[in-house]
Amino acid sequence: MLAWLAAALWAGALDAAGPKLLEPERAFAFSVQAIDDKTVEARFVIASGYYLYREKLHFSVEPATLASSPSLPSGTLKDDEFFGKVETYRGQLAVRLALQQPAPGGKVVVRAESQGCADVGVCYPPQAQNVTVTLPLPGERPEAPVAATPARKSWFN
Amino acid sequence: MPRTRWIVVFAVVGFVALAGGFYARQSADEPSTRNVVGSDAGPLLGVALPDTRGRDQPIGQWKGKVLIVNFWATWCVPCREEMPLFVKTQRDLGDQGVQFVGVAIDQPDKIDAFAAEIELNYPALVGGYGAIELSKTMGNRLGALPFTVIVDRAGKVAHTQLGPLKDGQLRSIIGQLL
Repeated sequence: MLAWLAAALWAGALDAAGPKLLEPERAFAFSVQAIDDKTVEARFVIASGYYLYREKLHFSVEPATLASSPSLPSGTLKDDEFFGKVETYRGQLAVRLALQQPAPGGKVVVRAESQGCADVGVCYPPQAQNVTVTLPLPGERPEAPVAATPARKSWFN
Repeated sequence: MPRTRWIVVFAVVGFVALAGGFYARQSADEPSTRNVVGSDAGPLLGVALPDTRGRDQPIGQWKGKVLIVNFWATWCVPCREEMPLFVKTQRDLGDQGVQFVGVAIDQPDKIDAFAAEIELNYPALVGGYGAIELSKTMGNRLGALPFTVIVDRAGKVAHTQLGPLKDGQLRSIIGQLL
């Protein structure tokens, strides 16, 4: 039993040995949920210690088109030595995307282009993530949010 | 408490701790870089990249020097913050056989603008996003920036660094290779 506990503590100690970073798709976990037959909600869950740049965030849909440019929420203002005042997002971010035409039962690919950094002083290259969702039929409940990639691995994979 | 109950308690605590340890390792803490120190820098030295005027520059032309290859981009603030240190170090130690080379994941006009701003005194090569893959072959598992590879005079990788280098740390590493 003591050996077992020691092994567990050893595993934890290794993790604390140095600065380690998340994969970009896990630092900036992207998911999409259909809201109705012409609206989807794009969501980022940004890990603690990481941030996304507002001006580098772009959404598009295929094969549909957006009714208008997405209304991005205001971010936190950051006074950057090189870029001046920039807005960044931390924590969670949700953006409703309205399609030009309703497409009940249709599949829509939602594409997010983003770029972010970690507070430890590292930036990730711009990345594009795609998620396919099915829009609900009239009177049907929307499906659960669909993640771009699994936000978490299982314990033993 | 009966002995068997203590055993159960220990078993539960042990399992939770062990599972937590595995979970932490799997969910967030895989190493950000692969250790390539001591290996041959051939994959890097064998590459030729264009400078901002479009002329191919083989990285191998600087073999024999203490070579510091820095992957960077103008959209990467930590990269921009770090580079004046490289300019200063190139100026101070260039005549002792130290050569910095920047590989930018960026567009030539943006590279030139920033190079002028900081009076860049070492080559700036245009890597594009393909350079991210090149950095991955040198251990940059996540492809994040800044990422720096220090190669000794014999062409072996002496140090890699994800994230900014500090002045003292950089001088210390270079000092051991001169």
